[in-house]
Amino acid sequence: MDVAIRNRPDYASLHFVLASGEAVVTEAGAMMGMDPALRMETNMKGGLLGAAKRALGGESVFLNTYTATGDGQRLDVAPASPGDIVQVDLSGTPLLVQRGSFCAGSPGVNLDTKWGGAKTFFSGEGLFMLQATGTGSVWLASYGAIEPIQVTGTYIVDTSHIVAFDTTLTYKLRKLGGMKSLFLSGEGVVCEFTGTGRLWIQTRNAPALASFLHPFRRVAKKS
Amino acid sequence: MRIDVSHRPAYAMATVHLEPGETCVAEAGAMMSMETHVKMDTSAAKPNQGMLGGLMSGLKRMVAGESFFQNRFTSPDQPGHVIFAPTLPGDIATYTLNGGGIMLQSSAYLCSIDTVTVDAKWGGAKSFFGGEGLVMLKATGAGLIAFGSFGGIREIDVDGKFTVDTGHIVAFEDSLKFKVGKFGGGWMAFLFGGEGLVCNFTGTGKLWIQTRTPQGFGQAIAPHLPQRRS
Repeated sequence: MDVAIRNRPDYASLHFVLASGEAVVTEAGAMMGMDPALRMETNMKGGLLGAAKRALGGESVFLNTYTATGDGQRLDVAPASPGDIVQVDLSGTPLLVQRGSFCAGSPGVNLDTKWGGAKTFFSGEGLFMLQATGTGSVWLASYGAIEPIQVTGTYIVDTSHIVAFDTTLTYKLRKLGGMKSLFLSGEGVVCEFTGTGRLWIQTRNAPALASFLHPFRRVAKKS
Repeated sequence: MRIDVSHRPAYAMATVHLEPGETCVAEAGAMMSMETHVKMDTSAAKPNQGMLGGLMSGLKRMVAGESFFQNRFTSPDQPGHVIFAPTLPGDIATYTLNGGGIMLQSSAYLCSIDTVTVDAKWGGAKSFFGGEGLVMLKATGAGLIAFGSFGGIREIDVDGKFTVDTGHIVAFEDSLKFKVGKFGGGWMAFLFGGEGLVCNFTGTGKLWIQTRTPQGFGQAIAPHLPQRRS
C-alpha cells in the first residue's frame, strides 16, 4: 500500500494506491475519488452493537471498505472539515481517539467505543471516545493543524485540543494555577497526561469557530 | 525566550520556549498545551502593580476588546515550553521590540515576554470610523511579542505612503503616522466601490496586514446558517 497525505495542514487529503487484495476502511462519506474497479462494501463493523456504540462515539454507524481488484488502484479520501490529517501506526496498546476524528484505517484495525468515565463529562469532550486496537494504521483528521507530542513524564493540554493518545498514558483533569485561575484564566480545566506515549493535539477547535460565527446569524422575527 | 511559529498560515501556533526564571504573558484562553513544570498565574495586574493599578489595566484591556485578566507563565528553575494558539483560523507573526513601539489591532495580541508592556491606547475618533474599534493596543519595552491575524499575514515595509483597507490592519510600527479617510476614487467609489474606509499610512516603518477579515468571513457564512432566536 502506498499512501500520501497532501495539502497539509489546511485542507489535508489522503491518497492511497492499493495493490491487488489490499483494502482501506473509511468513515462513511469520506471517499473523494476512486478507481471504479475498487470493490466497495458498506457494513456495520462490529455488528449492530458495535455500530450503535460507534454512533455514541460521534462516528457514523457505517464504515466503507474499499478493496483493490488489481494492482495500482487509487482511492482518494477527504474529511468533512478543513484541517489536518495524521497517520498513526498502532503500537500494540490501544489508541484513544476524540470523537469525530477517525477518517480511515487499515482493515486490521478494530474500532470500539469507550465510555470515557465521569471525568470526560467535565472536560468539554464527548462522553465517549473511540478506541482503536489491532494492527496497522489509522488516519485521523481534525479542524486545525495536528501537532504530535512525545510525552515522557507529564504534559498538560487544554481539553478542547486533544485529538488522540496512546493508552500507555494515563490522564486526569485538574485546574491550572490557583482557585482564581480556575474561574478567571479562560483556561478552565486542563488535562494532565502522565507516562510515556504519543499524544496528538489540534491547533484550533470547531466549537470556538461556531461560537465566533453565531453573532453573525440573522435573528428570527418573532411571530 | 524564543518563539517558534508552525503550521502557517491557516492554523498557526506559537511555541514559546522559556529559559529558567523567564515569564511570558498571554491572552486568557490562548494556552493550548504546556509542560507541567511551567507555572501559571492569573491576574489583572503586573507583579508590582497595586490592586487599583491592576483594575485599571484590566479595564483598559477590556475596553480594547482583550480579556480583563491575563495569564502569566513562568518556568521557575529549568527551561520549559508553552504552546499558544488563537481561536480563529489564521497566521501568527513575531516581533522583537527594542525601544520603539508597535500598535496592534485589539484582537491581534497573543503573547509577549513580561519585559514588554501592552497597554490600551485611545486611537482617537479616527479609528472609531476605521472599523477597528475605538481603542488599539500599544506594545512598548524590550523583547518578543507574538500577534495573530485572520487569514494569512503580510509584512509590508512602508517608505513613503501606503493605503490599507481598515479591516485588514493587524499591526504597525508607531514610527508610521496614519489617517483614516474614504477610498480615493471619489464618492461613487466610496459608496459602491466596496472599500469603505481606508487607512493612509505615511512615514517609514513596518506594517502587517491580514489577507482575510473576520467581519467579511462572518458575513459570508451567516446567510447560510439558520436564524437564531435572539
